[in-house]
Amino acid sequence: MDQIWIVLKSEFLRRVRSRWFVLTTLLGPIVMVALTVLPGVITAFAFDRGGRTVAVIDETGRLTPIMQTLAGDQFELVPQQDRSIAEVRQAVIDGEYEGYLHLTAGVMEGTSPVTFYSPDGGGLSIRRSIQDLIDQAVQRQRLLEQDAPPEVLDILNANVGLDMVKLNEEGEEEADQSLAISAVGFVMGFIIYFAVFIYGGTVMYAVIEEKASRVVEVVISSVKPFNLLMGKLLGVGAMGFLQMVLWLVLIVGGATALGFVASASMDPATLNLPADASQQQVMEAANLTLPDISPVVYVWFLLFFLGGYFLYASLFAAIGSAVEQQQDAQGLTFPLTFLVIIPILFITFIIESPNSTLSVVLSMIPFFSPILMVVRVAVSDVSLWQVLLSYSLLIGTFVGSVWLSSRIYRVGILMYGKKPSIADLIKWSRYA
Amino acid sequence: MLTVDAVTKRYGSFTAVNAVSFEAQPGRILGLLGPNGAGKTSTIRMIAYITAPDKGAVRFEGKPVGRWSQERMGYLPEERGLYKKLKVGQQLEYLATLKGLTTADARQRAHQWLERLGGADWYDKRTDELSKGMQQKVQFISTIMHEPDLLILDEPFSGLDPINATLLTDVIQELKQDGRTLLFASHRLESVEQLCDDICLISQGQIVLDGGLREIKRRFGRDTVIVEFEGSTAFLDEIEQAGLAEVLRQRLHRAELRLRPGILPRQVLEVVLRHVDDVIRFESVEPPLNDIFVRVVQDQQGQEAIPEDITL
Repeated sequence: MDQIWIVLKSEFLRRVRSRWFVLTTLLGPIVMVALTVLPGVITAFAFDRGGRTVAVIDETGRLTPIMQTLAGDQFELVPQQDRSIAEVRQAVIDGEYEGYLHLTAGVMEGTSPVTFYSPDGGGLSIRRSIQDLIDQAVQRQRLLEQDAPPEVLDILNANVGLDMVKLNEEGEEEADQSLAISAVGFVMGFIIYFAVFIYGGTVMYAVIEEKASRVVEVVISSVKPFNLLMGKLLGVGAMGFLQMVLWLVLIVGGATALGFVASASMDPATLNLPADASQQQVMEAANLTLPDISPVVYVWFLLFFLGGYFLYASLFAAIGSAVEQQQDAQGLTFPLTFLVIIPILFITFIIESPNSTLSVVLSMIPFFSPILMVVRVAVSDVSLWQVLLSYSLLIGTFVGSVWLSSRIYRVGILMYGKKPSIADLIKWSRYA
Repeated sequence: MLTVDAVTKRYGSFTAVNAVSFEAQPGRILGLLGPNGAGKTSTIRMIAYITAPDKGAVRFEGKPVGRWSQERMGYLPEERGLYKKLKVGQQLEYLATLKGLTTADARQRAHQWLERLGGADWYDKRTDELSKGMQQKVQFISTIMHEPDLLILDEPFSGLDPINATLLTDVIQELKQDGRTLLFASHRLESVEQLCDDICLISQGQIVLDGGLREIKRRFGRDTVIVEFEGSTAFLDEIEQAGLAEVLRQRLHRAELRLRPGILPRQVLEVVLRHVDDVIRFESVEPPLNDIFVRVVQDQQGQEAIPEDITL
């Protein structure tokens, strides 16, 4: 135990003090926050982008003024009474306008369509904003023509927000965040996937380096190979665990802060929210918040991360002990890589039907559960017995894999010369 | 005292060490000598408690080796290295705490030894910034800084320049005078002759000869003659044909001969004097360890057991 502790401490400290650790710990969340929050920010600001100049050929003769009012600074609508369609078309091609809108006479009666012509075919966001604009303008104009009282117009003008509410088993109502929660499940699954690879790889390279530099024979004249292996696994694991916790703190904190700042500069109306919407609501609507996730999910995330790490890292270490340089490891790591990739293929399926029989079975298999059970726990309410059973199976398997790996490791670190095959590794594990 | 008692180690169907027994006494240096592949490293690994023998036992001070003996042992393997990216100080502290030293003790002794071996300012340097020779010294410090009672040095001089080799020899002599048990392994039989008190010749996993170096040399007698001369080498043929001696090695102006039983050196000298222009040196000596090794192996295991890199 004493020796494991010395090895653990040394492995942990030399990694945590490294430039690599500091850089990845700080930059990781920035990249991740950027990836989660940026799409929201970009979409939100894209709607706001003013300064689009659009020509309007208005055959109804009465829609343009009302559209100009409604558009605000989103579009500048320029009526074209004096120009022929051909001239307007040429002006658009020359870049004078971004496009032109042809309102045929039948628009008010709904008998003919509106057409938007633009050199680049427009885009989804333009299409939606123009569509909204015309719908509203036509509606307003029709009401005006029917002499509707101003109160009615006010009521219609008020923005209506749509709140999605999910009913859960306890009968409580929860705000439905299914999209955001799916994203979190997806992200957590992928983080574990990367973590298993990166930290498992770290252990493997540490073992290879120790063997290649030949320092290992000195070390095992002081330490039992099992203790050396355990110290390494625990030391790198502690480093990984610390990094995960720091990342969670930085991501949750960073995303909240960033979302807060971004949402403060947004107009609720562009997000179809009532004008007096709280900042929290604005942030949610703009996709700028992390959905609120039960702390239990984070706990399982960390526990399954550790389980998956020990399972895979111990096997990576066994492979590392058998080779003398990194390139030689590739052939041997392939089966492991394959095992880690399989659950990734099922993530989408699990998010869509987290409680189907296939999902339940897959999330029980120890080689998959670190990723798939975490996804299930994140996106749905998984009964406790299932999580516990899955975790127990994982613990049992990693105890077995650590044992097997230590048997291969103790022989492998002293083997130089020929490149071993998987069959050799199995043979070594049977040595007395 | 270190006792290796009828130890056998097999790897698959290959027997690396076959019923090997020897003893190493405190205050003496035992040379475990033999060509590459003879089973030296396999034997050492069992003494170092890195591997376990299939048969037999290794005892230190009467008790089977184990974790306890590892703490009192310093091992410098033939294939050695350090953590390249660690600082010299971190490296020495880590390896010494694994031997049971406290961090404070380890730090103090690391400084002491670095100072003694001329590396006072290496403590905070990264190991791969040091030259090869400096790294060898750091490696050696890591082997002895916990003051081991049993010291196992496998090819300790390989890669060392003469100055550092002398420095190392001094420390080794000091440790010997301190009453520590030293085990010394090498395939370069000549290079260790001056250093060893006892030797143990190993070939094909078996001990072919062991005992005190002086006593062994005496046993083989002064039957070797070294001749340095000017002139033709034709006399060598005559000596062989006359059955006086066997030519072991010959160069342009130098030859090593082994006298046939009952032949006196002066009988050879007479032939030499008849043929050469001049004699520069004629000396009757004890056979070099290499020759003893070859003779013993030839007797016990046959001609084919002699590796090609050992010249007759």
